[in-house]
Amino acid sequence: MSTTEQAALHTGHTSTAAPRNEIRIEDLTVQFPDNKGGEPVVALSNVSLDIRRGEFISLVGPSGCGKTTLLRAIADLQQPTSGRIIVRGLFPREIRMQKKYGIVFQSPVLYDWRTVRRNVCMPMEIMGIPKKQRTATVTEMLELVGLYNFGTKYPHELSGGMQQRVGIARALAVKPEILLMDEPFSALDEFTKEKLQEDLLTIWEKTQKTIVFVTHSISEAVFLSDRVVVLSPHPGRLSAVVDIDLPRPRSLQTKQMPEFYEYVNKIRNSFEGV
Amino acid sequence: MRLKSKKAERAVVWAVWIVAIIALWELGAYTLDAVLHDPMAPAKLPYFHSVVLGLVSYAGQLFSAMLVTYSRALIGFLIGTAVGFFLAILMSLSKTMEDIAFPYLIASQMIPVLGLAPIIFTLVRDMDTSRIVIAAYITFFPVAVNTLSGLKAVDPLKKDLMYSYAAGTPTIYQKLNLPFAAPYLFAGLKIAAPLSVTASILVDMLGSSSGIGVQLMYSLYGGLKDLFWAAVVMCAFMGLISYYIVVALERIFVPWARRKEA
Repeated sequence: MSTTEQAALHTGHTSTAAPRNEIRIEDLTVQFPDNKGGEPVVALSNVSLDIRRGEFISLVGPSGCGKTTLLRAIADLQQPTSGRIIVRGLFPREIRMQKKYGIVFQSPVLYDWRTVRRNVCMPMEIMGIPKKQRTATVTEMLELVGLYNFGTKYPHELSGGMQQRVGIARALAVKPEILLMDEPFSALDEFTKEKLQEDLLTIWEKTQKTIVFVTHSISEAVFLSDRVVVLSPHPGRLSAVVDIDLPRPRSLQTKQMPEFYEYVNKIRNSFEGV
Repeated sequence: MRLKSKKAERAVVWAVWIVAIIALWELGAYTLDAVLHDPMAPAKLPYFHSVVLGLVSYAGQLFSAMLVTYSRALIGFLIGTAVGFFLAILMSLSKTMEDIAFPYLIASQMIPVLGLAPIIFTLVRDMDTSRIVIAAYITFFPVAVNTLSGLKAVDPLKKDLMYSYAAGTPTIYQKLNLPFAAPYLFAGLKIAAPLSVTASILVDMLGSSSGIGVQLMYSLYGGLKDLFWAAVVMCAFMGLISYYIVVALERIFVPWARRKEA
């Protein structure tokens, strides 16, 4: 149980209590119209889920299970066909307008014409943060992701792992309260992936953000998360929610614990049941 | 070291090409003149060296004519670029606007410049203005079409990112769409620049009193074959130079386009 959650429970009877639920997904269905005029494709069917404040939650499942669609719906990049999402008592659109989301995509999505520093800076420019503060934050973020010496490089001069770290630094730069990550490490080699996973946990423990993390890797989900949400495909629906009760802070040793394997197997079995 | 030798290799290739072309040219001219005894030889294919001599002896005359044509072409080119760019932005902002404007854009390119130039001249009654209008008319189309395709090709995830930060349309254009479309704009400019020069030359020939086209007409009717050929070479150069000016500007303003290719 995270500290924020405990705090929320202890003060639960007072009116100033932080809401226990960060994100509430109620009976969410998303359909995509078929271009050829046939039956619409059901990407998500009647998904309900509560995500707690400060929680690290992963969405796993095979391709076609709608995990990215669910993330995009939370981010207000995808409109639900029916059902709704409530984030901190508001609709995703309002949270987006308040600029509380940070998004990291599967590909780094960097702007080729900007240096690393100016890529990290971009969201802050949009938000009208003063230049002096922007410069300081960029430096801080690049140090955090270990790219301080690469600030003046252009994206094409960096490796894939470095580019992805720039994307993470950019998402963190505006201090988002909710971090949405769509398979951010899937294109990376094993070493870079492990390093970034640990870095991400360190950042999360430091900042206590809510993180919704989409992945197709079961072990990655178990390693990182407080809870793992298993989605099954055609149509995408929620098939299991598994609490991961492994001690924190987690490290590479965590991956050698027998409990780690038990969780991985448990989730894998829940796939086969589908 | 490798880079250097590659550069040297390219220089050698170029040198061989140029020497070979000159040699072929001279040989062809010689065949016409001394072997076939064609009386029209100087008009069909004069000696390379006589064209060079013509260029040298008429240099001053040709140069000032070139400046006249160039300056009109440049003004027209700039106006055409502005119009094309503006149209592209309008069309990218509104699908309705695109549907309305695009057929007209296509139709506008169906009218031959030779037919259009006298109409424009009758309308504006001024040779300089006609030249500018025609150059602008030739320029705006490739600029509009290329810029529009650039604005429409913006990576959807990059747009999602802007959207997720609740960026407004002006911000999205300034920070994403326009920089993204800039290499496309330059692709259009590279097509338009030589075309606008050619169009200006054409308008010169339709009864102007100055410009390189006038030199062409004058030498053609006056039987001044050296001047004619020198003017033709000059025209080709003007097109080339305008193209490479755009290439140089592209390297300065959108260096990332080149890096991506490399």
